[in-house]
Amino acid sequence: MIEAIGHGSFLRRIAINAGAGYVPGMNAAIMGVALSAGKLGWETVGIRNGFDGLLHPELYHDGGLVTLDPQLIDNLDPDGSGVLGQSAHVDPFNVRQVNEDGFVEELDLSDRVLERLKEENIDALISVVGGRGLSILYKLHLKGLNSVCIPRSIENDISATAVPFGFNTALSFTIEMLDRVRQAAQSARKIGVVEVLGERTGWLALQAGIAVRADAVLIPEIPGDLKFVASRLKDKISSRRPYGLVVVAEGAKLADSSSADAQVSSLKASLSPLATGEASEHVIERSGTAATTVANRLQLLIAEETYPMVLGPWVRGGSPTAVDRQLGLGYGSAAVRAVEAGEYGKMVAFAPPDMKFVPLADAINKIRTVPAECEFMQIARSLGICLGREL
Amino acid sequence: MTTQSTQSVPTGIVLNIQRYCSHDGPGIRTTVFLKGCSLRCKWCGNPESINQKPELGYDPKLCVGKNKCGLCMQPPFPQGAFYTMNGPDDTIHVNWDLAVQCSEETVALCPTKALYMYGTRMTVDKVLDEVEKDSSFYRSSGGGMTVSGGECMLQPEFTAALLDGAHKRGFNTAIETACNVPWRFIEQVLPHVDTMLHDHKLSIPERHKKWTGVDNTRILDNFKRAYETFPDIDFIARTPLIPGVNADEEHIRAVLAFIRPHKNVIDYELLPYHRFGLGKYEFLGRIYELNDYKSPSPELVQGLQAIIDEAFGRTKTTAAAS
Repeated sequence: MIEAIGHGSFLRRIAINAGAGYVPGMNAAIMGVALSAGKLGWETVGIRNGFDGLLHPELYHDGGLVTLDPQLIDNLDPDGSGVLGQSAHVDPFNVRQVNEDGFVEELDLSDRVLERLKEENIDALISVVGGRGLSILYKLHLKGLNSVCIPRSIENDISATAVPFGFNTALSFTIEMLDRVRQAAQSARKIGVVEVLGERTGWLALQAGIAVRADAVLIPEIPGDLKFVASRLKDKISSRRPYGLVVVAEGAKLADSSSADAQVSSLKASLSPLATGEASEHVIERSGTAATTVANRLQLLIAEETYPMVLGPWVRGGSPTAVDRQLGLGYGSAAVRAVEAGEYGKMVAFAPPDMKFVPLADAINKIRTVPAECEFMQIARSLGICLGREL
Repeated sequence: MTTQSTQSVPTGIVLNIQRYCSHDGPGIRTTVFLKGCSLRCKWCGNPESINQKPELGYDPKLCVGKNKCGLCMQPPFPQGAFYTMNGPDDTIHVNWDLAVQCSEETVALCPTKALYMYGTRMTVDKVLDEVEKDSSFYRSSGGGMTVSGGECMLQPEFTAALLDGAHKRGFNTAIETACNVPWRFIEQVLPHVDTMLHDHKLSIPERHKKWTGVDNTRILDNFKRAYETFPDIDFIARTPLIPGVNADEEHIRAVLAFIRPHKNVIDYELLPYHRFGLGKYEFLGRIYELNDYKSPSPELVQGLQAIIDEAFGRTKTTAAAS
């Protein structure tokens, strides 16, 4: 049972909010913050939907701020989705609204955020954010916000911490799904080509691919040669093993498309809708297209049938694993220690076995990509997993 | 608004001046795209026209990378605005949250022009001098100048001066507008307009709000008032046709019911949705929200066009199709 804290006797009041999109383990992080702050005699309030609860309190029955009191935290399901909600847009420097003239516009309401925090007697803000959120909180910190960030990421792409929360759950679920696809491929005697999350980095694809012993893994860091992949698949597929499994990160690149990319000309000189280039030029390839592209091209190169599947958004939901629960609680607790020590403008970083505080200026723009010679790459090569080209 | 008047010479933020346009009004035309829009249509093909202020664009294809240049990773460029990933790839990436602090002067330092600004402030005369370069085409084709956007009527003083100046130079004038502006803006501009191309995006107010950011009550009021107040203008209704959003018979018939009582609405055009603007979202560091939508099929467009042709009493020439 959590020790009750009486109203009006708090030594200070802090707030917590979350960036856009759900990452499993969010409630654990909230619990970590509220419990640790409660131990210090602090009150913790949660801001609904990013900064929206602060900027538009009139839209919420509770004024946009949730008091994370002991009773609420005691009954908070660590398995559940984030109790604070997730706004689609959490950038207070670009808040879209309709003005008195009926014009849709984006306004910089960052000063308003700082004013509202002051009005609510909140003297520090802990934000649970991904890579982009770190930049936004860094800007707010430069404007005077007492900010501490907790990293979260499905892709494990935040370089300043060993592992953010959320990744382990995504990895576990991806492995489970790949196992199922493998069984389906086995019975259907086809090659399953599965797209997993990973727009900029291939950790999820690589680690999951290793776990299920995929035949090939294509990641953004290594432009893949599909002729090479096809030849490796031909070697592996036989009448005794008439199936295959290829894992493709959504941001995977293909070496043979680079020449086409090089031909794409600038759109600078052709800004009107009537003057821009072909639809295929500069198209932002997002979820779903990587699996289809790879599956279709492979099918043309080998005498096997392929079928594409996209895990994509399925991975973002669900219950956190034991690891992510622990990480969430650990990050939350450490964030309160950072606030207590006045370590503002910092991100909590897991540097096993310690939690450290890294300046936001050093944490932004640091994308953890998969190095060519890392241990996971060695493991993949040892297991005979094709990584898209001869390495 | 961003229109400024210095010594009675209005200036405006111009995105682009496009010559040899054939779909923005009668004849061969020069279209002047102004910056700034009061809607946020999810299918927008010109995202660089939305913001009223000049803004940063980045074309990675023109960048030579950190090892050969790397100028943008040093002052006076904002700290953290440009970065590279770890590993051998020295491609420059943009942190758009920090890069917005780049001034026009700083952006101009980029030697390869991979960094550039969308939009520049221009005087009426400077724009018209550019437009005048093709005056012989206007005379021979019955064309002229079209002012588009964004929403051209967000800069009413500048747009009115531009159109007035064009008339004085003997050019036919047209505007492209969605009319999501107060009437006082419209009555400033329309006295100088020969043809008004205007968008009927969605018919149902709450659906209009969902897809564009505001409902269409004021827009429809403005259209009706414009038809009635300016009988000499040729009005051409338009619909950007997006499957799953508005590419259906119900919307087309609703628009026809709205425009047909007004004899000065001389045509209704369908603009099949395309994804040509996608790359520009990347250049601006923005996410395109309608990524999974496809262009309407030719059959769908033909079917809807037939309804319009029938309403306007046009006989379909089946021989031409075969």
